[in-house]
Amino acid sequence: MNNRLSIVIGSGGVLCAAALGLSKVLRREGLTPGLAVGCSGGSIYAATIALGMDPDEAQRLTLNLFTGDVFEGYSSNLKSALSGETRFTETSSLIDDSVMYERLKSVFAERTFEDTIFPLHIVATDFYTGERVVISSGKILDAIRASIAIPLIFSPWKIGDQMLVDGAVCDPLPIDVAIQQGSDVIAAVGFEMPTRKRMNSYTAMTTHFNSIYMNNILKSTFAFYNAVHHAEIIPILPSFEKPVGTFDTQQIPYIIEQGEKAAEEHIPYIKQLLLATK
Amino acid sequence: MSIKKKKIALVVGAGSVKCAAALGLWKVLEKENIHLDMIVGCSGGSLYATAMAMGFSLQECIDKTKKLWNRSITQQRNWRALASILLPGVFKFNNHFSMMSDVPMLRSFKSVFGDKTFADTKTPLYIMATDFETGESIAQCEGPLVDALRASVAIPYIWSAWPHSGRLLIDGAASNPLPVDVPIREGVDIILAMGFQSPLPSRIKSVSRYAFYINSLMTNNLLNANFAFHNAVHHAEIISIVPEFDRPIRLFDTHQIPYVIEQGEKAMLEQLPYIKRLLES
Repeated sequence: MNNRLSIVIGSGGVLCAAALGLSKVLRREGLTPGLAVGCSGGSIYAATIALGMDPDEAQRLTLNLFTGDVFEGYSSNLKSALSGETRFTETSSLIDDSVMYERLKSVFAERTFEDTIFPLHIVATDFYTGERVVISSGKILDAIRASIAIPLIFSPWKIGDQMLVDGAVCDPLPIDVAIQQGSDVIAAVGFEMPTRKRMNSYTAMTTHFNSIYMNNILKSTFAFYNAVHHAEIIPILPSFEKPVGTFDTQQIPYIIEQGEKAAEEHIPYIKQLLLATK
Repeated sequence: MSIKKKKIALVVGAGSVKCAAALGLWKVLEKENIHLDMIVGCSGGSLYATAMAMGFSLQECIDKTKKLWNRSITQQRNWRALASILLPGVFKFNNHFSMMSDVPMLRSFKSVFGDKTFADTKTPLYIMATDFETGESIAQCEGPLVDALRASVAIPYIWSAWPHSGRLLIDGAASNPLPVDVPIREGVDIILAMGFQSPLPSRIKSVSRYAFYINSLMTNNLLNANFAFHNAVHHAEIISIVPEFDRPIRLFDTHQIPYVIEQGEKAMLEQLPYIKRLLES
């Protein structure tokens, strides 16, 4: 197994499904990645790809991960937390994660990082220091749960002694992990989080602020790694004509299509690079 | 032909009361007779940057900035805030949401800077803010100082976004906590960059504290990423002056200001020989 070609899938909620479009194109072209890195929503797809799941199978399995019932109780929890009716601490969350956890479990069951066909790394953030934590062993389900612990929405997740939250808090598009692993060519599927013009609720505002921060961290980290490292980083940025909400799972087929289109544009160059570096 | 004098800028990053360390740095500059060609401030740093740019004496700066930033500016809670969270339809939750009323803060800013504008500063000054809609970094260098400061310290959730020249602006730290790119763009040779890690609230007791905590984590990560980039790709000499504090300095720990200034002075003295060498070379 080589890791000359790596796939990095950044945070972006349901948009991360676009990575399946890239995966389809790579399969069609007979290009096998040697490494997958995922952050937040991207960790789900990085895992399905590294586990060798067929893209159509992965699409089917992830289509129903984040349906409306996952977010049940959100408004009433927010109200009681804000009015002081319930205490809100660092282990609290506005959504009970049990439905989401069961959904993820139905996809990943007890599989571990050892079950993948090439190395998989999942990025989360240390809740207490804000530092990057790369998870590369243990149960994939745990790693994903930590990586998608969206602040306030889902509670942080403990792995070993570490309390972990959403990888997007430190490293929304973790190309640095692929660089450290010695990749030559990095296909990076990244997304800017949607911002809003009008805030009509506290939730809208927290989401908006988080998006602003995450987008700025994304730009700065990308600019830095792009400038100082010698790996070829190919940004694969699918474009969407219609707005796609962070959890708009119905749009997954469309998202995958757009990911496929974006990936196709870069295939000749990726092939050229892989030949040149052989 | 005269030798071109090297241009030197000071950047004071976000960090609330910690930013007072800039006054310690300034003390050293005054003693050494080193003049700044530009001052850039972000968030809490903009208060100290502005006082210095106005040409106030060190003691005046200490006295005036104490007026600018202390607990009294948080005296007035915005009673509509909670109501608008709980009943966003009735109490009109909108882009101007804030937990605090900004009336005491504006009053204190006005008492120090009145109607002075950027044109009144002795040293060219830039005050950073963030475009609330797009998240872009904005370097303000025109108009009333109070407006620019109010925008720069509009800490998410605590104070509302500030409308200014056709945009809605928030805390500069949301896009650019240590804005070394501004003097780089302006062609400065030596940049003294005083940056701070945002203090993390020690305990999370509420949703808003939690949101604030996550913002602090992200501000720190943004600071590191931005600084790494500019430091790596630009040719200006960027000298980080990072005061060390042996105790936590929180958002309104104004009683720590003398200690903070002392630490700023120490950090600056460590870098002084190198800075002098650069200026002379």
